[in-house]
Amino acid sequence: MTDLGVRDYILLGIQAVFAGPEAFSLLGLPISITVLMVTFGLILGIVVGATPGLGSVIGMAISLPILISVFGFNADALLPVLGFLIGVMKGSTVGGAVPAILFNTPGTPDAFMTTLDGYPMAQAGKARKALKISHFSSVSADTFSDIVLIVCAPFLAILVEAYLDLPEKTALLILSLSFIAAVVGGSAAKGLLSCGLGLLAVYIGTGEDFYPRLSMGTTALSDGIPITAAVIGILVIGAIFAELEELWHQSRRTGRIDVAKDVGDQRLHWSDIRQILPYISRSALIGTVIGALPGIGSTLAATIGYATGKRLHARRKAPGDPGFGEGAPEGIAATEAANSSVSGANLIPVLSLGIPGNTAAVFLILAADSIGGFNPGPAVFKFSTELNPELVIAFGLFTTMIIANTLNWTVGGALMRSLGVLVRIPKQHLLPVVLLLTLASLYVQETAMSAVWFGFGFGILGYFMKRFEISPLPFVIGFVLGGRLEATARQAFSATGGDPFFLLKSPIAAIFILGAVAVVYFSFRKPKAATP
Amino acid sequence: MRKLSAGTALGLGCIAFALGVAFVWIPLDTGSWLVERSRGRYVVGDSLAPMLAAAFVLIAGVMLLFERRADSNRPSRDNLIFIGTMTGFGIVSLLLMRWVGPVAAAILAGGEEYRLLRDTVPWKYTGFVVGGGSLIFAMIAFVEERPSWRALWIALGAVAAIIILYDLPFDDVLLPPNGDV
Repeated sequence: MTDLGVRDYILLGIQAVFAGPEAFSLLGLPISITVLMVTFGLILGIVVGATPGLGSVIGMAISLPILISVFGFNADALLPVLGFLIGVMKGSTVGGAVPAILFNTPGTPDAFMTTLDGYPMAQAGKARKALKISHFSSVSADTFSDIVLIVCAPFLAILVEAYLDLPEKTALLILSLSFIAAVVGGSAAKGLLSCGLGLLAVYIGTGEDFYPRLSMGTTALSDGIPITAAVIGILVIGAIFAELEELWHQSRRTGRIDVAKDVGDQRLHWSDIRQILPYISRSALIGTVIGALPGIGSTLAATIGYATGKRLHARRKAPGDPGFGEGAPEGIAATEAANSSVSGANLIPVLSLGIPGNTAAVFLILAADSIGGFNPGPAVFKFSTELNPELVIAFGLFTTMIIANTLNWTVGGALMRSLGVLVRIPKQHLLPVVLLLTLASLYVQETAMSAVWFGFGFGILGYFMKRFEISPLPFVIGFVLGGRLEATARQAFSATGGDPFFLLKSPIAAIFILGAVAVVYFSFRKPKAATP
Repeated sequence: MRKLSAGTALGLGCIAFALGVAFVWIPLDTGSWLVERSRGRYVVGDSLAPMLAAAFVLIAGVMLLFERRADSNRPSRDNLIFIGTMTGFGIVSLLLMRWVGPVAAAILAGGEEYRLLRDTVPWKYTGFVVGGGSLIFAMIAFVEERPSWRALWIALGAVAAIIILYDLPFDDVLLPPNGDV
């Protein structure tokens, strides 16, 4: 067989997307199911992003079991399902700005900074222009971040495979978990607690002994906790409870629940684009760098992007122009570019190291796990002479990102601007419906009432974590990575002949472990305020 | 007596929980120790990974005792009332979802077993409609502080929409609780 090079794999990836099973033909041109699914995903993403109280996580949680029911558990299902999830991820970053600008209600947490300038612009009769600025900034930064992902992820993966053996990989997992625990949320201690609980939960009912550990002799626990129940319970159901409670308090305080009102429009000119480009480029760079580090998330990127843009604006703005926080288009551009550029770069750790950096990446892993045939991680990027189907899927995934971006550039803006009406759906009606839909989707995926009970129980835990200001993300990532951490450590321990200090013997592993201790120590010394 | 701060209380709770896990739960409920000798070689036992998780919680607890934070949130009485009510609604609704179908079948289907009827109309929808509908209705009524016809219609409409979304298009998909009764 002839050697397969990088170019061959890129072409095979593109071919897998465009020449896969056909959905229908348009003017004689076959449209593949994957392209169709990316489009549907993007539309759903924009819709859930634009609906206050929903977001990409809920969109992915509800659609995943449906997708698996439709496409089944075979290799052909991978690209359509993963493409759909990528579409949701990209669409929601654009859609989140709609309620933030029109009604001062951020659709997603990272769109909060968008309200600071977006809403004043809307009040000044420039709502449509603000939406166009937000869309342009968001999509251009996302495109930049995807290019960085496509270029960097394979190189990083090859480096990891070349230089890291089992002890180093174990140490890298510990470093990643410590890093996520230390930097996410307002407190290193609470991050560590969240991560520890996630690890403990994933170890219930698993292990290598005949007796399923920590199962207390019960059948419900002896099969382990379903990953979807834990992830969706903590992230989605916990958030629904917290949001419902806000509405309950609002209803008790004022006797009514506020619904926002609509306002004006304007066009985006080339001069406006020139004006905001410096802000977009700075924020895109900031967001991409932050996104490449697992767990930090788009909220911090938006905050730093906004703060950096604010300093630049203070130097450059003409007298009489609105400042940041008073309706400056540059404020929207700086925020939206920063939070959108995180989404592509966030996939760098998952594709190159197999370590999910955000919730969207967790869902990609869940989907890949459920369907089988693709294990995101460094092993994917093996350019072997024998065809490596996982590498074809990886390049197919990059292709779906480019498709999603192209759609976002072309039709995303118009769709986004037409969705202001969604904010009128009363949240107190929408959220209980979403809760039942989430529980039903859990059942459909697991076909066991115990999964529904687990999901509900983890939702209550997620609610309490919110009330104690404990970020749920380290829990979820601990849960997702816990099994791999144990398996790698077992193999490394055996491979080193039962050396109890296997994590400190190689210099690279020792540096990772020291790094893990250092990152927790320094985060502990320097308390932070924001909780994403 | 001085009141414990939220951070300190949470820290002490974490330490107690971690010690309980490490010294009671793991030793009593795991088949092997931290490290075992198998066929002349040392291998990692099933206790090691949960012990690492307990260590994370323990370290977090100790750090919480010393962390320099001006203020730390804790659930208020209102929070507990809210989540207690939601938990109650959840438990009752899920029990209804699970048992209304079998009970209705036992009374109305002439002694036919529910398991045999679980993929036939109307039996397959009874538990989901009653349990799911009551969950949505109760939650809306609680948040709005009054039951309303609107809440009831929303609940029934949503349940119907979920049935249309999951049950009608797919032959192999079963709504709760029909897959494992």
